Amino acid sequence: MTNPGWKTFLRTVLGRAYPRFIGVWREKSWLFFDVFLPLLQVSAYVYIYRAIGAPLEFSGFAVLGGAMIAYWMNVLWSMASQLYWEKETGNLQLYLIAPTSRMAILLGMALGGLTATTVRAAGVILVGTLLFRVPLQVADGALFFGVFLLTLISLYGLGMLLSSVFLLWGREAWHLSQLFMEPVYLFSGFYFPVRALGFWVAAVASLIPITLGLDAMRQLLYPQLMEKFRFLSVEVELGILAFLAVLFLFLSREGLRFFEDLARREGRLTLRGQ
Amino acid sequence: MGTLMGRMLLGEIAVKTEELTRVFRLRKREAREGRREILALDRVNLEVCWGELFGLLGPNGAGKTTLIKILATLLAPTSGRAWVAGADVVENPAEVRRHINMVCGGETSGYGLLTVEENLWMFAQFYGIPSREARRRIRELLSLVGMADRASTKVYHLSSGMRQKMNIVRGFLTDPKILFLDEPTLGLDVQTARTIRDFVRQWLLDHPDRTILLTTHYMHEADELCQRVAIIDRGRILACAPPAELKKALQRDVVFRLYVEGIADAKNLLDGMKGVRALAQHMEEGRLSVDLILSEEEALVSVLSRLHAAGARLAELKKEEPTLEDVFLSLVGRKLSEESP
Amino acid sequence: MRRLFEAWHGFKAGTWLGWQIESNWTEPFLFAIYSVIKPVAGVLILVFMYLLVAKGGLENPLFPQAFLGTTFYLYVVNVLSGISWTVIDDREHYGMLKYVYMAPMHLYGYLLGRGMAKTAVATISVLITLAFGLAFLKVRLSLVNPGLFTAALILGLAALAFYGILLAGVSLLIARHGWVVGDVVAGGLYLLCGTAFPLSLLPLPFRALGLWLPPTYWFEALRRTLLGQGLHAELSPFSDSTLLLILAGATFLGMALSLWIFRVAERIAVRRGLLDMQTMY
Repeated sequence: MTNPGWKTFLRTVLGRAYPRFIGVWREKSWLFFDVFLPLLQVSAYVYIYRAIGAPLEFSGFAVLGGAMIAYWMNVLWSMASQLYWEKETGNLQLYLIAPTSRMAILLGMALGGLTATTVRAAGVILVGTLLFRVPLQVADGALFFGVFLLTLISLYGLGMLLSSVFLLWGREAWHLSQLFMEPVYLFSGFYFPVRALGFWVAAVASLIPITLGLDAMRQLLYPQLMEKFRFLSVEVELGILAFLAVLFLFLSREGLRFFEDLARREGRLTLRGQ
Repeated sequence: MGTLMGRMLLGEIAVKTEELTRVFRLRKREAREGRREILALDRVNLEVCWGELFGLLGPNGAGKTTLIKILATLLAPTSGRAWVAGADVVENPAEVRRHINMVCGGETSGYGLLTVEENLWMFAQFYGIPSREARRRIRELLSLVGMADRASTKVYHLSSGMRQKMNIVRGFLTDPKILFLDEPTLGLDVQTARTIRDFVRQWLLDHPDRTILLTTHYMHEADELCQRVAIIDRGRILACAPPAELKKALQRDVVFRLYVEGIADAKNLLDGMKGVRALAQHMEEGRLSVDLILSEEEALVSVLSRLHAAGARLAELKKEEPTLEDVFLSLVGRKLSEESP
Repeated sequence: MRRLFEAWHGFKAGTWLGWQIESNWTEPFLFAIYSVIKPVAGVLILVFMYLLVAKGGLENPLFPQAFLGTTFYLYVVNVLSGISWTVIDDREHYGMLKYVYMAPMHLYGYLLGRGMAKTAVATISVLITLAFGLAFLKVRLSLVNPGLFTAALILGLAALAFYGILLAGVSLLIARHGWVVGDVVAGGLYLLCGTAFPLSLLPLPFRALGLWLPPTYWFEALRRTLLGQGLHAELSPFSDSTLLLILAGATFLGMALSLWIFRVAERIAVRRGLLDMQTMY
């Protein structure tokens, strides 16, 4: 792995984030499709809960899950499968011959993608509270923000790890991203408390940081209702999230090195049209 | 310390390969005629000096790009070793990357939504170049390739020639010590190709300590630009010398171009004849054009009589000065334009 | 006549290519896993929502209705996102769009063909999900009226393909984003067509909009033929044949609309030189 010095590292992060920042403002069609229409999808789950007479807090589960889906989608489509896309368009080889850190490039992608994603997630929350009168009051704001931040750090660490794995998989990467949508919505409990799946399923699903993040945030938002449904206590979940953040960042660095070497040996780094 | 390391440390050698070999293994369903392996590079030995513009000349599929990819740290060799700027490409790729850049022809780089300047700035960031310095270099290089007025144009609005010029600027922007140019004028119009060649030549004049390794299958490009040329085919280096020297080796041979009518194939007729060293043929405006390399001029008489006996009419006969194309023909038995089988 | 021939030519080429791409991306075993897990997971989300909250759990009378809507919705998401993604993929990944456009075949027909391949793949998912529902979720299906079912299925699928092409037209003009336009429209349709809940729950403007959307009628016709009764009170005054007639009209309208919008989008794309743009960022 290249050790380019922190100045080049920072420049690389900004350099790779730039197209994403600018892309968002230059090509505004995303605003409609990425923000407005996904709201409808979240709304559908709110109405399913209403149809079966669920308490209002369950609609809150769906709204929060819908907001967090934005980040999961961003990780899947704009990080995990991104290196594969970069390979197909000829940019990857230029990244790889540059004397800079690949982690910095991935971090740049992540930061750039976060902007649009946060707008979208905020849109879902805003409409959720205004339109469905979903109660979203947090007693401990700092703790809530801490959980949210740790969830994002470990989630994007996982995204970095996946990007190097997906690089090796060629066109399957696109399908893998597809495969990681509904099953992850299910196992991470995007629309219902993950505890419903049973302790051990929830434990395995916790490898995806959003599982714990969502559970902890729901506990902080709806402490009474979540008494019945909580998976682990917020403190434990926070600790595991911190561990996952370090683990994924470490694994992604090692994974990048390993998979890059493997792809270089197998001649897949620049092989296109797979 | 071996001789090589000594010469590298003395600063003579920029790029060196030793018995460099690369085999691609195919999946079962990709097997070609039952073969699951393709030998892309076969024990390649090369030395390129600092300050040199070195050419790799060979047809499509000869192994040029594979060699460049290994030197640029994008592909691992199956066996053998390679050093770039004194660093081993396998053991110390990070060190190699500090000194290189690469431009490939026929490829786009960067993002269509960004402008030319933004794309170039982004790549400069990966090399740690401060923004102000990057923008200064971008302006300077863009005006050198005649694109100063396109700095604010979005890349997806550029023609392919313009994109390639931008790509060239990207390669030079980081001021690399060693630059790999892989078919940089591929598919470009004559004027754009000339601009790029002029730019490359001038850059090396301005930076005499830098090295360029150029791959091409345009023989006049190699002839015009390169101080030394290696001819490569089916993964093997067949000859390596300055273009003039390569052509000089053919001086004792005689090169003719014949245009004949009335027959469609001369190769079967003439192959193996005494005095015929190599020949290639193709149809041109309804006539058969035959490039002929003879070891002695006298052999022409028997060639012509055999053609006449087969019913061919000679439309035109030219004696030619040997070109790199003829060098390739005499070494390989095919023309450059024919793909490696 | 010639245009019709070109459209047919494009349709054939698109179907063949689509199937090659859809079925050939991986080993058959992985393809099988992919075909099972994705749709079943979608349905299981619904299952757990019911198990957690609904009175009677899966025995709740709404569940089979929601299950059936969600299952056939797989066609909606596959066809809509599949066709619109084709435009982006062919344009920015394979660089093929411009060549397809230049070839003496109809781009419209070609995309319809690609949609055909997507429909085939979606059919596998729908069948698997239905089998899962019958085997594990105690959903009881009985084919009440095979004629109505077949007619509704074919009309609905045709309508979806046309609306997919309409979205492909939109995709011709927009950049490649993280999401495909077909995905997000499909997400909207899940809500507005009352796929998994009664339309009466929606606010009036959304309900009115839902009544203008063909999948609403499609899901309702399929529910009536497979479950013996529909879900939406708003549609109860309509007889089966009226539903079918509305569906036929919507299909025809979809065809006309998609032909028109696609042609307009095509012209704009050619005028602005968007057929070979690279917009990734």
